[in-house]
Amino acid sequence: MSPRRSPRSSPRKPHAATPRPRWSAVARTPLGACAGLLLLAVIALAVLAPVLWSGRASVVDTGALQQGPSGAHLLGTDNLGRDILYRVLVATRLSVSLAVAATLLGVSLGLVLGAAPAVLPRRAGRLVTSAVNVTVAFPGLLLALFFAVIFGVGAKGAVLAIGLATAPAFARLTHTLSASVAGRDHVAAARTLGVGRLRLLTRHILPNIAEPLAVNATIGAGASLLAFAGLSFLGLGVQAPDYDWGRLLGEGLDRIDLTPAAALAPCAAVVVTGLAFNLFGEAAAAALGIRTLRHRTTSPRPAPQAPSKGSDRKRESRPVLLVEDLQVALPGPSGWSTPVRRVSFTLWPGEAVGVVGESGAGKSLTAMAVSRLVELPAHVTAHRLEFDGTSLLGPGPRELRALLGTSMAMVFQDPMSSFNPVMSVGRQLAEVAEHHRRLSRRSAFEQAVDQLRAVRVPAPERRARQYPHEFSGGMRQRAMIGMGLMGDPKVIIADEPTTALDVTVQRQVLRLLDTVRTERATAVLLISHDITAVARTCDRVLVMYAGRIVEDLPAAGLLTEARHPYTRALLSAVPDLDTDRNRPLAVIPGRPPQPHRLPPGCAFAPRCPRSDDLCRRKDPRPVTYATGQRVACWHPVEGEPAPKAPPGQGAAEHGGPGPRLERAANGDVEESTGGPTV
Amino acid sequence: MSELVFDGVSVRYGTRRHALTAVDGARLTVPGGQVVGLVGESGSGKSTLARAAVGLAPLSAGRVLVNGTDTRRSRGRRRPVQMIFQDPYSSLNPRMTVAASVAEAFPRERGGSRAARHAEVARLLGQVGLDADLAALLPGQLSGGQRQRVAVARALAARPQVVIADEITSALDVSVQGAVLNLVRDVQRELRLTMLFISHDLAVVRYVSDHIAVMYLGRIVEVGPTEEVLADPRHPYTRELLAAVHGHTAGPRKDAETVTDTEPADPHHPPSGCRFHPRCPEGPAVRAEREVCRTDDPVSDAASRPRRTACHFATATATATALPERGLRDRVRENGNP
Amino acid sequence: MTTATAAAAPPRTWRGNRWALFGIRRAARLAASLWTLVTAAFLMIHLVPGDPVRAALGLTASPELVAARRAQLGLDDPLWRQYLHFLGGLFTGDLGTSTITGQPVADTIGDRLPATLQLAALAFLLAMALAVPVGTAMAALTRGGGRRAAELGFTTVSALLAAVPEFLLAVVLAYVFGVRLGWLPVAGDQGPGSYVLPVLALATGPACVLARIVRVEMLSVLGHDYVRTARAKRLPPHLVYTRHALPNALTATLTLGGLLLSALVAGTVLVENVFAWPGLGSTIVQSILQKDYPLVQGIVLVYGASVLVVNLLVDVVLALLDPRSVIREV
Repeated sequence: MSPRRSPRSSPRKPHAATPRPRWSAVARTPLGACAGLLLLAVIALAVLAPVLWSGRASVVDTGALQQGPSGAHLLGTDNLGRDILYRVLVATRLSVSLAVAATLLGVSLGLVLGAAPAVLPRRAGRLVTSAVNVTVAFPGLLLALFFAVIFGVGAKGAVLAIGLATAPAFARLTHTLSASVAGRDHVAAARTLGVGRLRLLTRHILPNIAEPLAVNATIGAGASLLAFAGLSFLGLGVQAPDYDWGRLLGEGLDRIDLTPAAALAPCAAVVVTGLAFNLFGEAAAAALGIRTLRHRTTSPRPAPQAPSKGSDRKRESRPVLLVEDLQVALPGPSGWSTPVRRVSFTLWPGEAVGVVGESGAGKSLTAMAVSRLVELPAHVTAHRLEFDGTSLLGPGPRELRALLGTSMAMVFQDPMSSFNPVMSVGRQLAEVAEHHRRLSRRSAFEQAVDQLRAVRVPAPERRARQYPHEFSGGMRQRAMIGMGLMGDPKVIIADEPTTALDVTVQRQVLRLLDTVRTERATAVLLISHDITAVARTCDRVLVMYAGRIVEDLPAAGLLTEARHPYTRALLSAVPDLDTDRNRPLAVIPGRPPQPHRLPPGCAFAPRCPRSDDLCRRKDPRPVTYATGQRVACWHPVEGEPAPKAPPGQGAAEHGGPGPRLERAANGDVEESTGGPTV
Repeated sequence: MSELVFDGVSVRYGTRRHALTAVDGARLTVPGGQVVGLVGESGSGKSTLARAAVGLAPLSAGRVLVNGTDTRRSRGRRRPVQMIFQDPYSSLNPRMTVAASVAEAFPRERGGSRAARHAEVARLLGQVGLDADLAALLPGQLSGGQRQRVAVARALAARPQVVIADEITSALDVSVQGAVLNLVRDVQRELRLTMLFISHDLAVVRYVSDHIAVMYLGRIVEVGPTEEVLADPRHPYTRELLAAVHGHTAGPRKDAETVTDTEPADPHHPPSGCRFHPRCPEGPAVRAEREVCRTDDPVSDAASRPRRTACHFATATATATALPERGLRDRVRENGNP
Repeated sequence: MTTATAAAAPPRTWRGNRWALFGIRRAARLAASLWTLVTAAFLMIHLVPGDPVRAALGLTASPELVAARRAQLGLDDPLWRQYLHFLGGLFTGDLGTSTITGQPVADTIGDRLPATLQLAALAFLLAMALAVPVGTAMAALTRGGGRRAAELGFTTVSALLAAVPEFLLAVVLAYVFGVRLGWLPVAGDQGPGSYVLPVLALATGPACVLARIVRVEMLSVLGHDYVRTARAKRLPPHLVYTRHALPNALTATLTLGGLLLSALVAGTVLVENVFAWPGLGSTIVQSILQKDYPLVQGIVLVYGASVLVVNLLVDVVLALLDPRSVIREV
């Protein structure tokens, strides 16, 4: 019901994930196949064994009482001389069918009870729910014992007992599942269409929970089987002369020192069958559930790009961040993909640089890679990755910990989930000083209070003792920035710091970042999908598309100087307060490419109005202009102000000669991937 | 063309001490065939107001009228108000094909043959710019933009008199957002739909809407024609919102800035008097003489003020602290050509 | 939509009361559950098909004896009166008398309960002591898709062991260690050695389930933003794990651990029967078979109440661990 979810705050969904049942996929997993075969074998046995061997199982052989295994009786005989092997095999039918009957009873009762609150009037529904909640607190076996007393000792009583004992758990499951589905917007949409309650249940809710229910029913059948064996073993289930595995086990246990097979054989039968049900359910859950079938990737990891010849000219001061040819590779089902490719940029002290682009452009991954927070299985390579003159590539995390812990601050998108929910905010800030500056617990906490005050959190002494959930979103983000300031950061890397916040709060947070920057000369790397926010707060803007920087330009020149068609398109697609209301908004046709399916040429070419054959064939290298602007485009837009019409309409004619002149002036910039060339 | 009227609508959740009045006596008229944009921060109650209009949130007071008829009377049969939801990933049933989802919305009384329904689905998909071949697909096979188009088609299929669009672009990427906004605008103009368009993004609302209504803590604090509200905002909160879009980083006054930095109010315990007063840069927190904001509720006589502004000083302060009207473009232009 | 903001800045007026409210609600829930339990136990005797006294005394008992026993048990009174009497008895610790032995039920339970409690407590401690470190270690080892063999080995072994019910495991253990190797006694309580097999049988399954849960929870917690924040603070890994990840993983683990603990209480019934353990479990089965309903009733009450107490304890521990859960409840 959150009124606003940004594209970033909701987890990215796979585009082509079909929710169709994929039970066949279950059989394709090794576990699923084994469990399925086992299950089939058990069912076959249950059908055939009594037909084939019930005679032999009941033959009383007074000459061979309580014998051990022999040629005639593979598993020995019982106290009446009956063959144990055949008895165990024949018992399959009764054991399995009673378990299945109990499960069916329990599942259908549970389904009715669980779905009832959705259809019944509110009060009646609530009554059902609370009744279920009370009973579900008791373990199934206790309930089964209770019902067994009521229904009397015997097979029928046991089926009823186990069925009734299973029902509450199933009702609860049905209820939670359907409640979660009922909270989704498609159910709300159906309700606004006037769809009735029953149809809502049968058409919109039950189909969406059928799979987990089926999976759980399978596992439940396994559990019923075990419970039945338990009851029969205790003498409360199947009564003589009938026999199931539990009763065979109970009889066999008394003579376990004489003929262990009499106890161990039914034991094995119960375990194997229970496992078959269980594992099949588990395999189905795994295959149908969140995780898809994982294939071990075999394609080789892409080799790091050969280093390019960057210019070595430097400014007087040392850059805070120097990134050259950064690449992040991720293993996927179809081999390695590179969501960040050959990214190079420099961040100077006190400078604010923004990174913009659509979701999936690799912005956040770039930030994570630069701050060395990318974890396995992702793989980061770079020609150079220097923080304040220290290479981050060579030393291990242990050596870097002290340096980065105090001089590099991170601010993340969602301030709610970025704080540890079970630790007070003050403690979480203090931790930094405790570890990197060896302060005592008390003085670290005092520092934390000071920092909270510095980022203008009201009543910092009280606030420091509170937990994150007691803070509002804006205050949390302030505290997050304060946490970064516990050291003496040279750079703040802020990954979508305002996306989850309200507009008025966004402004406050950006203003705070700006204050910190001017007061402490801290550099800021601001990652955002909001190009206007970035243009407002930053000195320079890096535009990313499909994992690489396509343009790097001063924020002030964003509207007039942008040369890459993508930058232009991005600018004109966002309405602002000056947009002409009578003209349609500019749109960028198509979708960004997936990182594992990049086109051979320029990644933007399929969506670009200026693209030609060259663009589709060859990926453009970034070209540095005299102004310091970098553009990776074969046909950059020249000079004219950004059109407010769909991109490229007025600029379809080639702006060819411009960059070539620049190239001539810059010598070998053609080869440059844009190191620090200024 | 039907008119949508919120007549003193209140929505209250919970009981006793945990009661939460999400919407408090909202009065708003969406004129027939026009678009009213509703802005406000999260928790301001704008989505709850929308859900109240389609019967998803219980009214504890007031009425929602479509052409003078209480919407609660039209339960069960065809619903005159339809809604498009924020998240296109959850607003379509993953187990129903596009065609089934759209067809489910057809008004009940109009039976029609299978072929006719088929043709109608295809027509609607065409209307929202989708290929008719998509009808057989499941939502999982569509992109976010396509899903949102299907959601629009489903809303249209019910032949609504009023459509409510609740944050329909906030889950989409910018390149897709533009296309969906264009679609909504085109469809609205073509069908002369009455529409309530909800968004937290003032620029988006401005682009789509004829009128703008601003909500704060469950109340509508200002309503007026788009251009007027933006050019001359009367409520201090509207000015805050505008300032956020204009993005001038320096506030009007230092002390006023610290005021706007305070915590948003708790909707369980709304402040007395004017609900905005603890955060108001022109209110009692900054100007001690404005005690009236703490004690008197400006909503009660809002109707007498221009644009029904819920502010005691709506007329007095309007020009006194006018914003530095500098948009991104202005700033960029200045910096770009020194 | 409004709850997020509501939780954001609760005013002090009801902050102090939150624990009180939590306590009241919990107490009310416990009372409701207890009442359900007591009523169900009371009704049980009346739901039993036929005359419970006749069933207990057998078909050969004389009508006079049956009538006398019925009068003695108060079964001829009106139902409401019996109910009140039953409730009154509960408050004074009177659970009735056994129809077989004629002994007070409370005495029998008092004799047998300690043995069962010892088993359950030891098994729970063992399960926790095994599951938390193993699960955490497995999560640390296998995160990010590393060490597939270890992951596969762990998941397979734990799934297999978790699927074997405790009484079957008990049979196998009794056979291997008692009969075959003769290391440990297989029946009754004959000193410390007797505890080993029943406790092992009881603890193995829950330990495996818990270890799996701890691992999965740990993995999911390690993927959370606040763990990324902890890493961004450049804390050493052991602190990231123990201070930021483990407490959060434990809250979810405890919720399920509570269910396991009450299942473990029930599991004692079967395991006691395998090892002829002189506890409540063997007593209840005997009394069901002998149709000694007052005794069954008393033991059901004790089992049910202990499950409820366990659930309450888990909730309180959860609330102490995770400050949010108090709010969520209220």
